[in-house]
Amino acid sequence: MDPAARLGPAQIDVVAQLAVSTVLLGGIYALIAVGLTLIFGVMRVVNFAHGEFLMLGMYLAFFAFTLQSLDPYFVLVVAIPLFFGVGLVVYLLVMKGVIDASHNVQIFTTVGLSTALQNLALVLWTGDFRVIRPWHSSVVLRIGGTAFNLSQVVAFAVAVALTVGLFAFMKWTHTGRVMRATAQDRDAATLMGVDTDRVYRLTFAIGIACVGAAGVLVSPLYAAYPQAGLQFVLLAYVVVVLGGLGDMVGAMVGSLIVATVEIAGSYMFGTAWKEVFYFLLFIAVLVFRPAGLFGQRGAETLGV
Amino acid sequence: MTRLPPGRWAAVVLFGAAALTPLVVRDSFILDSVILILLWGALSAGWNIAGGYAGQVSLGHAAFFGLGAYAAALMSARYQQSPWLGLLVGVALSMCAGALIGYLSNRLRGPYFALSTIAFAEVLRIVASRWRGFTAGSEGVPVPYRPGFWTLGLSHVAWLYLILAVALGCYALQVYLERSRVGYQLAGVREDEDAAEALGIATRRLKIKAIMVSAAVTSLCGSLWAQYVGFVDPAHVFSIDLSIRFALNSIIGGIGTALGPFLGSVLITSLETYLRATFSGIPGFSGTYLIIYGVVLILIVRFAPEGLTGIAARWRLRRARAHA
Repeated sequence: MDPAARLGPAQIDVVAQLAVSTVLLGGIYALIAVGLTLIFGVMRVVNFAHGEFLMLGMYLAFFAFTLQSLDPYFVLVVAIPLFFGVGLVVYLLVMKGVIDASHNVQIFTTVGLSTALQNLALVLWTGDFRVIRPWHSSVVLRIGGTAFNLSQVVAFAVAVALTVGLFAFMKWTHTGRVMRATAQDRDAATLMGVDTDRVYRLTFAIGIACVGAAGVLVSPLYAAYPQAGLQFVLLAYVVVVLGGLGDMVGAMVGSLIVATVEIAGSYMFGTAWKEVFYFLLFIAVLVFRPAGLFGQRGAETLGV
Repeated sequence: MTRLPPGRWAAVVLFGAAALTPLVVRDSFILDSVILILLWGALSAGWNIAGGYAGQVSLGHAAFFGLGAYAAALMSARYQQSPWLGLLVGVALSMCAGALIGYLSNRLRGPYFALSTIAFAEVLRIVASRWRGFTAGSEGVPVPYRPGFWTLGLSHVAWLYLILAVALGCYALQVYLERSRVGYQLAGVREDEDAAEALGIATRRLKIKAIMVSAAVTSLCGSLWAQYVGFVDPAHVFSIDLSIRFALNSIIGGIGTALGPFLGSVLITSLETYLRATFSGIPGFSGTYLIIYGVVLILIVRFAPEGLTGIAARWRLRRARAHA
């Protein structure tokens, strides 16, 4: 039988639905990953506590909704400056002292931060799954043969807007240029009169603001609980390593690849096994192209 | 007779005290605490072989622990065979897994290596929680209790001496790594891999071997843990928290030292036991000790990266200088 004849409208609808879901998911992953890759690119630190800030963002949205009945998208206006501030404080208290330390010290500093924050959330708010259902999470949009949730669409749109904003900031502002210069060569930037401490502070705060915002955005879609950040951050590592650690455009492409693997994997093999696919992809990339799909080969054995 | 260095004396005191405990007290709470201190110490020593001596900092050692735990638990629960058999199967599987991880991640350094080990442990966690027909999935496997040495249904006292023997074996293995040729080679790889290679050390093979030995020790302890605790579930035995814990004891005690993992375990395990007993009635407070872990970890790596043994060495040096 001719394969083209089998591709009826129903099949096209399925493919369109899968494609739209992939893009929507990819946009949110990108916002989580972009902060991680920015922090790595400029500071050369893998932030193992990144997911915990996502979790804190989810809790912020949860409590704002249940206690003050504030819509998550309204909370976002407060969340971005708030998490920027949190990032500044965490940088000064924790990260500043280890910026020139060995990899091991940096790894275990952020791992320690992750453990402390996760269990602080457990003690303060218990391990219960916290779900919010604002009005937009039950609105379904239908375009052509595809259907999707309004919260998902808004989360995607805001995530993309924030990511594009960050890109523009990095590309066209003076501060952005200084940050890129520091990422390229820390010592040379210092010699050019760049205050690297200020750059690191700003970088960390921006990275945390991004992931905090992402936490607020996903709150209508996923339950908040103390380990909620873990699955997302594992995903973000996959995205970031795929795109090349420190490569922001790579992170965008990586998000789409991971979202594709996740959506296609759950469609073909069921949701239970989807995570296995992106971890296997992750291991394959680490083994064959550790500097990322488009990165420079061998970068991992250099100073990174 | 040569004089023992202070670290060895501390080890003699520590293991001696553990060996004498059952002669003095029969309280099962205290015996249980000592068993757990020794078991966590041995597990951290296993991590220390790869993470401390070879410099291969892994955040996925739960993979080997889980393989060992599942092998022993399934062997006794599903096949009605001796858990010792399962222990051997687990060790063999873990050594294969270690060789695979070591081989695949050989070029990766620093955070990349840590990330790849996390991914390995996560793959195993997902497989163990989804492959219902074999592992019983997320519900976990209760391990049947059958009294006897062959079935590992032991009294607290017998468990204590069994785990003590394992802990002593781990300690001896680490001492060997401090004094032998292969130990010096590992130190070379850890401090400067390129220089070590230039000196003719087969760095890749050495790293893989270190990870395999480390995996075998971790798996063995995992099997014993499964039999001792009596229940295995994927969310716990393959968790990142567990992997962090192995590293934590070593770092607090002193990474890359023979005594470090045990010293760290004494501190962390007794802190946990104490806080658990104190806060057990209050819901949510079970996480308190983990907050303290996290903060202590940050403070230790920042202000005393050589851990407690490093602090002790510095203190002795200062005292020696003051006397001179």
